[in-house]
Amino acid sequence: MSADVASVQRWMHEALISPRSAARADIDARLIHGGRLAAAAGLAIYQRGYFLRIAACMREQFPALCHALGQPLFDDFVADYVRDKPPESHTLYDLGRRFPAWLEENRPDRDLSSGERESWIDFMIDLARYERQVFAMFDREGQEGRPFAATATPDEHLRLQPCFDLGAYGFAVPSYYHAVRRGEAPSLPPRGPAYAALVRTDYVTRTIPLTQPQYVFLAAMKQSGTVERGAAALARHLGMDSSEVRDSWSSSGERQRWIDWGFFVAGLAARPDGNDGIRSLELQDHAPGRPRPTMKGVSP
Amino acid sequence: MAAIADLPRLGLGLGLRNVHFEEILRDRPRIGWFEAISENFMDSGGRPRAVIREIAEHYPIVLHGVSLSIGSTDPLNLDYLARLRRLADEIRPAWISDHLCWTGVMGLNSHDLLPMPLTEESLAHVAARVRRAQDILDRPLILENPSSYLRFAQSTMEEPEYLRRLSDETGCGLLLDVNNVYVSCFNAGTDPVAYVEAFPCERVVQMHLAGHEHHGSHVIDTHDRPVRPEVWDLFRLAWTRTGGASTLLEWDGNIPSLGECHAELLKAEAYMTGAGAAAPDASVDGDGPESISNPVGFLVPRVMDSNLMEPA
Repeated sequence: MSADVASVQRWMHEALISPRSAARADIDARLIHGGRLAAAAGLAIYQRGYFLRIAACMREQFPALCHALGQPLFDDFVADYVRDKPPESHTLYDLGRRFPAWLEENRPDRDLSSGERESWIDFMIDLARYERQVFAMFDREGQEGRPFAATATPDEHLRLQPCFDLGAYGFAVPSYYHAVRRGEAPSLPPRGPAYAALVRTDYVTRTIPLTQPQYVFLAAMKQSGTVERGAAALARHLGMDSSEVRDSWSSSGERQRWIDWGFFVAGLAARPDGNDGIRSLELQDHAPGRPRPTMKGVSP
Repeated sequence: MAAIADLPRLGLGLGLRNVHFEEILRDRPRIGWFEAISENFMDSGGRPRAVIREIAEHYPIVLHGVSLSIGSTDPLNLDYLARLRRLADEIRPAWISDHLCWTGVMGLNSHDLLPMPLTEESLAHVAARVRRAQDILDRPLILENPSSYLRFAQSTMEEPEYLRRLSDETGCGLLLDVNNVYVSCFNAGTDPVAYVEAFPCERVVQMHLAGHEHHGSHVIDTHDRPVRPEVWDLFRLAWTRTGGASTLLEWDGNIPSLGECHAELLKAEAYMTGAGAAAPDASVDGDGPESISNPVGFLVPRVMDSNLMEPA
């Protein structure tokens, strides 16, 4: 039993995350006075360090968002974030995990209807989502040291590799991020859909822009595992026959490019169970009468 | 479980930092050993794990943790220990160390190394957890004296006595951070030489050296500059009393080139032979804003450097 230790730790931790909660009388009662450093001043070093340490790590995890907002405003968001969502994990890599969702939940215009909301806030949230994806890719289990799929691998055996992710954004946030990476000072991009695949090979993460049909195909594959189900989802989305989609995927060069980029590994052939589990994809089906899309995009 | 007396004497080593990975892998500099921050590698499925595997093939490695939270009154994090054990089984470190501290409570983590109340009750609490951790890791734990800026009124013993008893009761080894001794003693207004003389130096497996920021009224453990003369002097005493414990330089903020870090480390040789004489330095580091104690920004990789965007 360590009740006194527990009491001290609860008090000090509360004093760190809510500095105003530390009453002077408690500080005087709990801490020794008489050193070169006054008790309250000593506690203040821990209190100041708590936020500054986390803010420094968050700037490393969201460098483009910090660039877009400017450090003072970024730090203000981080201060509110860690107050609402104090760190729980032993790893600093987890600090930013809940940040994009927190930004969405706490956006200053959250009480307005979607049509009235500020566009720049949508952009910042999308940028935070992308940066979190990129950061998470850095240290995930990957395929390095193990074989990838080759051209000769049958479609039935193609599986997405473990360090692969997809993003659908309302702005061209990958382009913005990489412009910041190059040291440029890009303008905020106009609103417009952007789709991307993120894939890591040889410990380098690549972002590859996608068309919406490519995204639908890969999202279904990510969710349900096989090319067949990816093609079936896209066929439904486009109002095409599944065999047409399969022909397009092979003939348009996507298959080879994606193999070259390391999207796929060779797995076991899937068992036909008739349930592709992809109906939850939140994308509009292709409307009859519109131009006929292909894997590359929308045909003229 | 091995005894601490059986652990090797590794000489002089450096903290392994992300910014030096490429140079170490490419040039394999003549550095005695490296200390890796456990949390940077134990959860990694990416490049850090591959790097430490490769470095461990060529250098002795020690794992140094910052999040075991051995003093916390939260339950011991068994998942953390299992991950640490897996990493240790993989790279076979010379030993595993962490701090006499707690990092959080109530399921939260401050990511700081917070001081313990030094009481009989806390000693019994920590000793029980050290035994459990050692059983899981199947090796003695090596615990470091943290830098501190406050002391608890309820404490009933000094830190050297606390660590001596902890080591006697559990068989754990000790990591004597000479800079932390100076920082804690300066801030508390106590004598760092008396601290080292009271310390159970026969239990010391490793020592740390680092730079600190001097504000006149107090000092901050910043690890972002060269070792100050007063710490070198204390190191000379500690080197003698520990009989030449493995010694490591930490540099965690404003990290210079590997060559500069190594040159700073090699200054230790003069103090090991007793020839070094540090000129007293009463200078303070200006009136600017204080730096962070125990910086952790270096623990977060700059992932922008390993990202590319391909054309559509």
